[in-house]
Amino acid sequence: MNVTVKNTKAFLTDYAIYVVLAVLIIGITLTDPSFLSLSTLTNILHQNSTKAIIALGAAFVLITGGVDLSAGRVVGLSAVISASMVQLSDYPQKFFPHLNELPIIVPVLLAVLAGLVVGLINGLIVSKLHVPPFITTLGTMVIVLGINSLYFDMPPNNSQPIGGLRSSFTKWGSGTFEIGSFSLPYLVIIAIIVAVICWVIFNKTRLGKNMYAIGGNVQAAHVSGINVGRNLLWIYSIAGALYGLAGVLEAAKSGGASNGYGNMYELDAIAACVVGGVSTTGGIGTVPGVMAGVMIFGVINYGLTFIGVNPNWQLIIKGLIIVSAVGFDVRKYLAKK
Amino acid sequence: MKKKIIPVLVAGAMLVAVAAGCSNSKNNDKAASGGDSNTIGVAIYKFDDTFMTGVRNAIKDAATGKATVDIVDSQNSQPTQNDKVDLFVSKKYDAMAINPVDRTAAGVIIDKAQKAKIPVVFFNREPLADDMKKWDKVYYVGAKAEQSGSMEGELLVDYWKAHPEMDKNKDGVLQYIMLKGEPGHQDAELRTKFSIQAIEDAGIKVEKLAEDTAMWDRVKAQDKMATFLSAHGDKIEAVLANNDDMALGAIEALKAAGYFKDNKFMPVVGVDATAPALQALSDGTLLGTVLNDAKNQGAATLNLAAVLAKGDTPSKDNSGYDITDGKYVWVPYKKITKDNMNDAK
Repeated sequence: MNVTVKNTKAFLTDYAIYVVLAVLIIGITLTDPSFLSLSTLTNILHQNSTKAIIALGAAFVLITGGVDLSAGRVVGLSAVISASMVQLSDYPQKFFPHLNELPIIVPVLLAVLAGLVVGLINGLIVSKLHVPPFITTLGTMVIVLGINSLYFDMPPNNSQPIGGLRSSFTKWGSGTFEIGSFSLPYLVIIAIIVAVICWVIFNKTRLGKNMYAIGGNVQAAHVSGINVGRNLLWIYSIAGALYGLAGVLEAAKSGGASNGYGNMYELDAIAACVVGGVSTTGGIGTVPGVMAGVMIFGVINYGLTFIGVNPNWQLIIKGLIIVSAVGFDVRKYLAKK
Repeated sequence: MKKKIIPVLVAGAMLVAVAAGCSNSKNNDKAASGGDSNTIGVAIYKFDDTFMTGVRNAIKDAATGKATVDIVDSQNSQPTQNDKVDLFVSKKYDAMAINPVDRTAAGVIIDKAQKAKIPVVFFNREPLADDMKKWDKVYYVGAKAEQSGSMEGELLVDYWKAHPEMDKNKDGVLQYIMLKGEPGHQDAELRTKFSIQAIEDAGIKVEKLAEDTAMWDRVKAQDKMATFLSAHGDKIEAVLANNDDMALGAIEALKAAGYFKDNKFMPVVGVDATAPALQALSDGTLLGTVLNDAKNQGAATLNLAAVLAKGDTPSKDNSGYDITDGKYVWVPYKKITKDNMNDAK
């Protein structure tokens, strides 16, 4: 009897977040049974693909024991850069009036590169100047917004939202594969590919092992011969490139961009990571965990909107889930020690 | 050696940034005048607001040959704006044009202005009526925010009357989705309220299927709309968004659900008449939008300030705009559809 109680308790602690998720899904379904449908699945996957890519980037940095606040603004920067160069040639208000139609890959690479450069700068400041990651990325966050706003305000655009994107670009954000009656968005496939690559980096490469070692104990990592600085440069650069990619996809998905894109996404990404079991003190975290964290928020956002819960209550519910998820998580590790 | 290079580089980068920032503000925002030496200090609540950028450009254009304008950014912070006003006062400008960050803080600015005897024109955000009465050299230029909402509703009313098939379930009731801006934002609340009121005033019954905030954001609106489509599907007869960005996000979600082809249409309306919205109008996806007339708001603000700077009392003759109650210029909104798109360009 005692053992069962103990086991149940242990089970609830270990899987608390999934229990909460199950309760929410049951509650939402009871309120509106049409929630359980293929379109719900497609929509949730489609809406969270870019968020998953951003969360994976954030996870790299969190696992090293850092935090990256610049994520959201980098998403905005790359969304604006890519959108500004893929407009239809006959669109009346073009960002670059004399730009011919470039091959899609050029603006995409430039935008991802912009993200990578911001990441590289973050990495340089953290590893060479030893500025704490929180402060570093707080600084780059506002700098990136400033740069993006200057770019966005350039004549003739003058801070107008960018629209009229070519369909060869937007299809990457809104196109789907039809598999029977199920439509699988391209975005989801891109996110899965990114997740697989991240899984390989996390688990099968020296960079991944070093990342965990640095996050676990930076002195020990240094003493055991790991070049901490160089590894951090790689980590922040990869993270930046992922945000850049997410920004491109965000522009493709919505068919436009403005400098407000990506605002506060870093907080959503960090929340998804910690709910998915990434430790904010570093050294712990997995790709499947991050994906689970993203999906939990995806289901909550979608489900609560689906049944028409007042948006202010949605905020309260999300906040409670973040705090309780991490609360349970900490207890899990305390129990193991 | 290496360690010393970094601070030098950082300092160098800052210097470049500062220099770039200064030269930029000179090029952009100090429109020099012809012979007239009057200077008008202009404070915008924040520079990266799309609509206020339009007003800012209109002020600059209108200033040519009338006065010199010094336009500053209040960075969405009222204390910063108050500092800028102090700066205008100490530079002894001839008039000020202020776009308040917080409309309830205008009283403080009026006190400063009155003490320094510098006339002030507020624009786009209306100070409280009591504050406006404090001094006779205080004016206001703006639009009646509720009008943007009622015009948005009227666009749907016109369509409903001309297209009976819009009532898909033939119950005589208009089932709608409302995409709101930031909760508590005055424009969001007024547009939400007055758009629906305009529809009801036209004798059409309405039923709200869903209302949620998408924070003025295109991506968020797209996600919300996809959710509403799967929750309510064909029950939805119209989509109202507090701004064009959200309307365009909703249109993306509708496109993904098979709308806007094979005679499947959904009336979607927004506010702002942005360039992408005009494109959507000509594509036939957006039904209509409402133009907040940045050009006339900017021009009216500058004209009033220029007249005041000379020491004259503004009137229709010397400012070109009707003045109500001795201190207000109301610049009307405009309904924009595919037919009169060119008015918004």
